[in-house]
Amino acid sequence: MNAEDLDILLVEHDQDDTDLALHALRREKLANNIVVVRDGEEALDFLFCRGGFAKRSFEHPPKLVLLDLKLPKVDGMEVLKQIKSDPRTKTIPVVVMTCSKEERDLVAGYHLGANSYIQKPVDFEQFREMVKTVGLYWLVINQPAPVKGVAKVAGQGSR
Amino acid sequence: MTSVGAEISRETGSFAETKVKLRVLLVEDNAADAELVLRALRGSGFEVISDLVQSADDFRRMVRSNCPDVVLADYNLPQWTGMEALEMLRHEGVDVPLILVSGALGDVKAVECIKQGATDYVLKDSLTRLPTSVRRALQEKELRRQRKKAEQDLSQKVEELARSNADLEQFAYVASHDLQEPLRMIANYTQLLAERYRGKLDEQADKYIGYSVDGAVRMQGLIQDLLKFSRVGTEEIEPRTTESRAVVEQAVKNLQAAIQESGAVVKWNGLPAVIADPAQLTQVFQNLIANAIKFHGAVTPVIQIGAENKNHEWVLTVSDNGIGIPAKSWQDIFVIFRRLHTRTEYPGNGIGLSVCKKIIERHGGKIWIEAQAKPGCCFKFTLPMETLSKAAQAGQA
Amino acid sequence: MRTTEVLLVDDNPADSDLTSEILASSGCHIQSVTDGVEAIAFLRREGKYAIAVLPDFVILDLNLPRKDGRAVLAEVKSDPVLREIPITIFSTSVAREDVVRSYQLGANCYVSKPGNLRDYIAAVTAIGEFWLGLARLPHEEQR
Repeated sequence: MNAEDLDILLVEHDQDDTDLALHALRREKLANNIVVVRDGEEALDFLFCRGGFAKRSFEHPPKLVLLDLKLPKVDGMEVLKQIKSDPRTKTIPVVVMTCSKEERDLVAGYHLGANSYIQKPVDFEQFREMVKTVGLYWLVINQPAPVKGVAKVAGQGSR
Repeated sequence: MTSVGAEISRETGSFAETKVKLRVLLVEDNAADAELVLRALRGSGFEVISDLVQSADDFRRMVRSNCPDVVLADYNLPQWTGMEALEMLRHEGVDVPLILVSGALGDVKAVECIKQGATDYVLKDSLTRLPTSVRRALQEKELRRQRKKAEQDLSQKVEELARSNADLEQFAYVASHDLQEPLRMIANYTQLLAERYRGKLDEQADKYIGYSVDGAVRMQGLIQDLLKFSRVGTEEIEPRTTESRAVVEQAVKNLQAAIQESGAVVKWNGLPAVIADPAQLTQVFQNLIANAIKFHGAVTPVIQIGAENKNHEWVLTVSDNGIGIPAKSWQDIFVIFRRLHTRTEYPGNGIGLSVCKKIIERHGGKIWIEAQAKPGCCFKFTLPMETLSKAAQAGQA
Repeated sequence: MRTTEVLLVDDNPADSDLTSEILASSGCHIQSVTDGVEAIAFLRREGKYAIAVLPDFVILDLNLPRKDGRAVLAEVKSDPVLREIPITIFSTSVAREDVVRSYQLGANCYVSKPGNLRDYIAAVTAIGEFWLGLARLPHEEQR
């Protein structure tokens, strides 16, 4: 995989949901490079280029982070909060996915800076449709933040 | 005042025949000495207007009211020194040479005075030296004045150029945003008209709407091309050591669709490292290869890219087997929007080559067309070579 | 449940009308304003907008008269209440500085306004399908 072309970081603990999402994305040919992490700690290590992902660079963020809220080790909201409060990572689009219908989480998520909030459908077909729509919108229609701009602003790296 | 210096500059240095007007400010407390100084000057072709002062205040007043061409000052005066006069001149911000006319001071002190800014030092018992000294001082002043003017002219030109570039960039922005918006309105809504009212109005109306749509869409394309062209001339380029092979590979990758569709074959070898902005060089190759594919005529396009070393430059070649360009158009073809064919024969607005030319010229190179034995086109362009020392530094063979 | 309220901020009525038309099929109610000052007044429910309903979603152009879209974005996203409203930038500008700056100021996404009709319709349709069809918007329970 070309480190420069990372499309999606999928932060998902549930195996079935992971398989379903990957299948949907690949079928629709929306994303070529997808990385899956299983818990909040791994997600943070990945995005902050530390721990097992120390070789990663801030200059190649994913175009999209799909973040499930129910995560072990570090909870989804906390992951969201950390991503959105650090200038090196705050411009990465994060779409929160959750099974919970809690209004509270919804508002809290947007308040913390989540780019968007999706309810995971229970239905298999609907789930697939959801992934397809999300992929299409965030990888094709949306303009992600250009990387060099981010690095420059955060005072990292050089032109 | 400046005419004095100019006249002096024109002299050959020997005894002048025409009298040169000279305004002198004498700082001297001894009237007899003052008279001797003036006589020495008058006797060698100067028409002298002089003022005599002794005190610092009088000196300042005279400099302000009747600024002299030269100050001749005794070193030792009651209450102040000739060097203080120098300081005062500096303070007033005037460029007036000060020559010390003094009794024996000793070499050390004399050198010290010159170091501090006195133009020269003439002994009172060697006043015959004085006219030469004055002439030289005034010549130097004239040279200083000319250089300062040249510097001012240069910085003015630089400012004008920067302003002109800023104007161009602003134009490019206007073209991109302000022009495109109303154009977009026309293009969008004529198309909507075409879609939603087709068959509901008469045939004539459909035709009119069709022409409007065509015109609007074409104009959108032209504006975008014009913008691309102007950006090429004004945006920052960063020439650096670039592997032209990698650039060609990228250009070919960008043209994948067109290459597959036409079955084109693009070959290259011996492509060197050059000094160029990689993004812009990619555009040059992309435009040339795209043209070669487009104008392929009846045969499958085969495009050859090579390079040779000539006169401390790289000469790169892109040649094809297409329909070629008649020799009479070889100059003209690089002009923006110049096309040789109708739109129905070959699409496009005709900016590809003008963009190439602009980029190459900004890199200090030339681009031209050469005759070749087989049918088709042969484009050549030059780029600076990576210097030997740089290559050595990079550890390359 | 009330209809989704969308605030459309665009100084070009031709674009505004086209966008509204395309989004109408999503069943939302669209309020349009044509400059940045009006946008802020609407969101703060000031003056003639005192009885306005707070929008659930905003589509914001950048180049606006009176108060520029970037300033509107900055103001909205630094307000503790208003910042929760998702804002999509919809602009002809694809300048790197504009995209980066918008994300830094808290824009939820950035969609480039295409030059040709077909792509324009596709882009707005996609915005509608995602934001008004799939995404959950804050305060939906209050509708």
